[in-house]
Amino acid sequence: MPAQFRKAAIVGGNRIPFARANGAYARAGNQDMLTATLDGLVARFGLQGQTVGEVAAGAVLKHSRDFNLTRESVLGSRLSAATPSYDVQQACGTGLETAVLVANKIALGQIECGIAGGVDTASDAPIAVNEDLRRMLISLGSAKTVQQRLKALSGIRPGQLLPEVPRNVEPRTGLSMGEHAAITAREWEIGREEQDQLALRSHQNLAAAYDRGFFDDLVTPFLGLTRDDNLRPDTSLEKLATLRPVFGAGESATMTAGNSTPLTDGASAVLLASDEWAAAHDLPVLAHLVDAQTAAVDHVHGGEGLLMAPVHAVPVLLARNGLTLQDFDFYEVHEAFASTVLATLRAWENPGYCKERLGLDTPLGPIDRSRLNVHGSSLATGHPFAATGGRIVATLAKTLSEAGPGKRGLISVCAAGGQGVVAVLES
Amino acid sequence: MSDWYRDFANSGLGTTITRQLGLPRPAVLRRYEPGQPLLTGPGLVGAAGEGRLRDVVSGVLAAAGVRVDGGTDDERLSAVVLDATGLTGPAQLAAVHELLAPAVRRLGPSARVLVLAEPPADAPTVAQAAARQALEGLVRSVAKELRNGATANLVLVPSDAEAALASPLRFFLSGRSAYVDGQVLTLAAAEVPAGDDPDRPLVGKVAVVTGAARGIGAAIARVMARDGAHVVAVDVPAAGESLAQVANAVGGTAVALDLTAPDAGPRLARQLQARHGGLDVVVHNAGITRDKLLVNMDADRWNAVMAVNLQAQLDVTQALLDADGVLRPGARVVSVSSQSGIAGNRGQTNYAASKAGIIGMVRAWAPEFAARGATINAVAPGFIVTEMTATMPLGTREVGSRINSLQQGGLPVDVAETIAWLAQPGSAGVNGQVVRVCGQSVLGA
Amino acid sequence: MVRTVLSETPALPALFARATLSARGRGGDLPDTRLAREGVVADPAQLAGYARVCRFPLGDTLPVTFPHLLAFPLQVALMADRAFPLALPGLVHVRNRIEAVRSIGVGEALDLEVWAERFARHRGGATVDLRASVSAGGEEVWRGRSTYLARGAQAPEGAPDADVDVEVGVLDRIAAQWQVHDDAGRRYAKVSGDVNPIHLSGLTAKAFGFKRAIAHGMWVKARALAALSGRLPDAVDVDVAFRKPLLLPSTVLLATEQVEGGWDLAVRNASAGTEHLLGTVRARR
Repeated sequence: MPAQFRKAAIVGGNRIPFARANGAYARAGNQDMLTATLDGLVARFGLQGQTVGEVAAGAVLKHSRDFNLTRESVLGSRLSAATPSYDVQQACGTGLETAVLVANKIALGQIECGIAGGVDTASDAPIAVNEDLRRMLISLGSAKTVQQRLKALSGIRPGQLLPEVPRNVEPRTGLSMGEHAAITAREWEIGREEQDQLALRSHQNLAAAYDRGFFDDLVTPFLGLTRDDNLRPDTSLEKLATLRPVFGAGESATMTAGNSTPLTDGASAVLLASDEWAAAHDLPVLAHLVDAQTAAVDHVHGGEGLLMAPVHAVPVLLARNGLTLQDFDFYEVHEAFASTVLATLRAWENPGYCKERLGLDTPLGPIDRSRLNVHGSSLATGHPFAATGGRIVATLAKTLSEAGPGKRGLISVCAAGGQGVVAVLES
Repeated sequence: MSDWYRDFANSGLGTTITRQLGLPRPAVLRRYEPGQPLLTGPGLVGAAGEGRLRDVVSGVLAAAGVRVDGGTDDERLSAVVLDATGLTGPAQLAAVHELLAPAVRRLGPSARVLVLAEPPADAPTVAQAAARQALEGLVRSVAKELRNGATANLVLVPSDAEAALASPLRFFLSGRSAYVDGQVLTLAAAEVPAGDDPDRPLVGKVAVVTGAARGIGAAIARVMARDGAHVVAVDVPAAGESLAQVANAVGGTAVALDLTAPDAGPRLARQLQARHGGLDVVVHNAGITRDKLLVNMDADRWNAVMAVNLQAQLDVTQALLDADGVLRPGARVVSVSSQSGIAGNRGQTNYAASKAGIIGMVRAWAPEFAARGATINAVAPGFIVTEMTATMPLGTREVGSRINSLQQGGLPVDVAETIAWLAQPGSAGVNGQVVRVCGQSVLGA
Repeated sequence: MVRTVLSETPALPALFARATLSARGRGGDLPDTRLAREGVVADPAQLAGYARVCRFPLGDTLPVTFPHLLAFPLQVALMADRAFPLALPGLVHVRNRIEAVRSIGVGEALDLEVWAERFARHRGGATVDLRASVSAGGEEVWRGRSTYLARGAQAPEGAPDADVDVEVGVLDRIAAQWQVHDDAGRRYAKVSGDVNPIHLSGLTAKAFGFKRAIAHGMWVKARALAALSGRLPDAVDVDVAFRKPLLLPSTVLLATEQVEGGWDLAVRNASAGTEHLLGTVRARR
């Protein structure tokens, strides 16, 4: 057992450009995308044939045949086949959670380096057979005699042949994530224009980052796509204002396709290591993963918004590290919806909420908005659920590294199921 | 991208038909493979006058396990090396003729004729200068007469550059120079490190290859890696997917970088310093074409080609020279020029200008590089069969690929082998040279 | 009082048929009859199907609403009998109360007893309570009271006033949205045995005066309770009022609110806001 912990270094990352669903990656599966992403990482850091401590990755929408998705991707990649791997699924928190898991093992000295990642496809989503048909097919499979088989087959009804497409809804509430976010937006009185403003900045920041080559060593093109195809560099407030609300109803409906993330395909991976391993391999250390916190809220019966868990996680993380919300040079707040980001910030500024829900005597207070998502976020890149965490970790690590030593960044990722993962990075 | 005509001409029926019709009969060239012997059969080493290189040559050949007794009369010769450094005047050229004529008759497939002489410019007398220069005409003509994949080249060895001869000698005799024909190479005095492993001459070297994602660049990366180098494969971010595949295939590192960006050179230098502790070889292969007749050429086409093909090479090379300790001792820079840069090409004023500019660049930079114990050279490919030429119209393609002494197009690997040779530590005496890889194309010859 | 112990569970389709054929000419007071069964053990296959349709987690204890399924055929047998004063077709389930004394293990042998009581006056007719008592090892573990309304029926002289309302607090926070498909009645009928035609199809429902098929009240109740899985004590009283019928298909909203000692619930139509169910869930003291 090692005597003390060490902070895991973030060496770098790789992702494929994110593609709107049923577009550039319509024919690619999770395994294709994750393998390509790992191979891009391998090429960037010369890891061909190397055994890394572990690869932790996952997908939110996963075929049953991909039960060992990460392992199979590693086997198909240029990494050594002796690299252990496992799947993680924490909805949109998956990518950040895998980074935390790998970082923790490095911190404990259990491994020297590891890869964290995530992948999702909305284009190649698993479609299940109707529940009745599925049970009938199972009994057909176990039938031993012709009579039993005929009996099982006689149970088929035409209606059962309709497949069940996975719906982007919370199982316990039956509400889509957008509908949940709309409820929160209404509760916090998040206006349409401030949401559009946030979306606009996300596109502008991402476009500028691409233009100055920021993503040259973070992204590897895939299937002919060289940039996130959700990016609209020339969008404007006027264009965003023309979009009709898609979530919520009536006067209070403010959430449009412009200020919400679209269904997206993509994958990301982050290389983490001990400082010693990085030095021994002449690899850079962009930043260290200092600490992380996960929280969950009762979005079903508890009166808390589905995507508000990060709001609860951050004060715990700050307290443990003796930090205030203002002690950061950069903030990466995952833009599931523009309204989610704004509600999160508003909640931290609200004394009543901070006291009643977070148990804080004083609110966390406002942040400097110019430090928020400075290289764009999910509204512009798109949001392939499990891949978003890896995108953010690598982007923030490079942002901090560029800014110089001693810079600090906060990551906040909300996830389905009322969960949230947050982390502190330091250069 | 097989050469259908060459394959046909070498088939049983094809041999008969092409012979009767007097059609060209392109040979299947002997190309280098690791572990391959330098030559397949006996070689003949001769001299016109009192040559001074005989011992060097014999030493290299003996070390490579080549018989240099000239074989028996019914044996095919794999190579003829003629030491003409002892030429005192035109009269002695008769000795060259006397020695070469019977030997050429006995040459086997993909055999080598290599004439070694002193540079005419160094000649103490006019008669000697004339005799030395005469060899160029002789060798270029022999190259055109040779058949069956054989080549003839001339290496000019100044009196103080004997030590630099081994590496060029091995290159021109080996399968690595399969598509280098009718060329004149001038050596310079240099300190040549001893003990290259002929099969892994680049072991421990870090080699940057630009434009490595596909085509000739990918072939360069493969050959450099095969020869032992760690390849840093560079290409534009948009080519990142195939770049990663190339890097992974050769166990190298992929760097997505727009070389025309203002900070591309310093960025590359920083990364090479941090990740690899510097570099030994730079291959400037990245290049683009934007063809139009001059009168129709817009500024964008002109500027894009100049920026990528010439300015980026100047800037990146300068940045690497400026960055302290990045270019390691004995560094090698090899630029990919083009036959168009030598002969010109209709519709390619921009491209040909940029590629000619490269020739100017390596010649002008050669003294500074020599002073650092480094070299800078250019390679000018002729008609090389790539995915790009495969899309050319059949007629253009066939003419392009046949109008050379080997009567066929070259392969990307031919260019890559030449570059990898120039990158070898042993090639220290080759500096400021332009080596054409064109099968002795009639264009610009 | 006459107490009849049945040797097997009566078949519901036959009972419904008999009750329909003998619907006319009923009247009088409630019979002083009790029907009972002894040693009943829940069928694991039925339990699994029920849990799936109502979205209860399948475990080794019975969902709090499940004993109703065991007692229901006996209650129907009681009502189908000619001696019962109200015609079964057209009876509307308007309130259901469950008192779970403790949780019941899946394998427990249960003794069931059902009877009718409290013939009461309602402004739209008369109501009657069908009671069920479930015992294990001689100890009563579960009690049920289903109040049915017979429209236009007349309660006897001196009958008390009907008691069909459940008081709930403010319920404006949506916990869940349910897409209730048009086969919801058939699916629940399959696992519960309650094949009352008003739930099965639009056509059969029309025959009894409904525009479309309507969802089983006990399914709505069960699903609402299932939404609170993990948050309820073993000993619990659940009291719900069934308001407007839930026509199939519908999108409905479940609202929940934690209150002193338990939860208040409401199930309403998503667009019109019509109340389908109001209920309280309270820990037993």
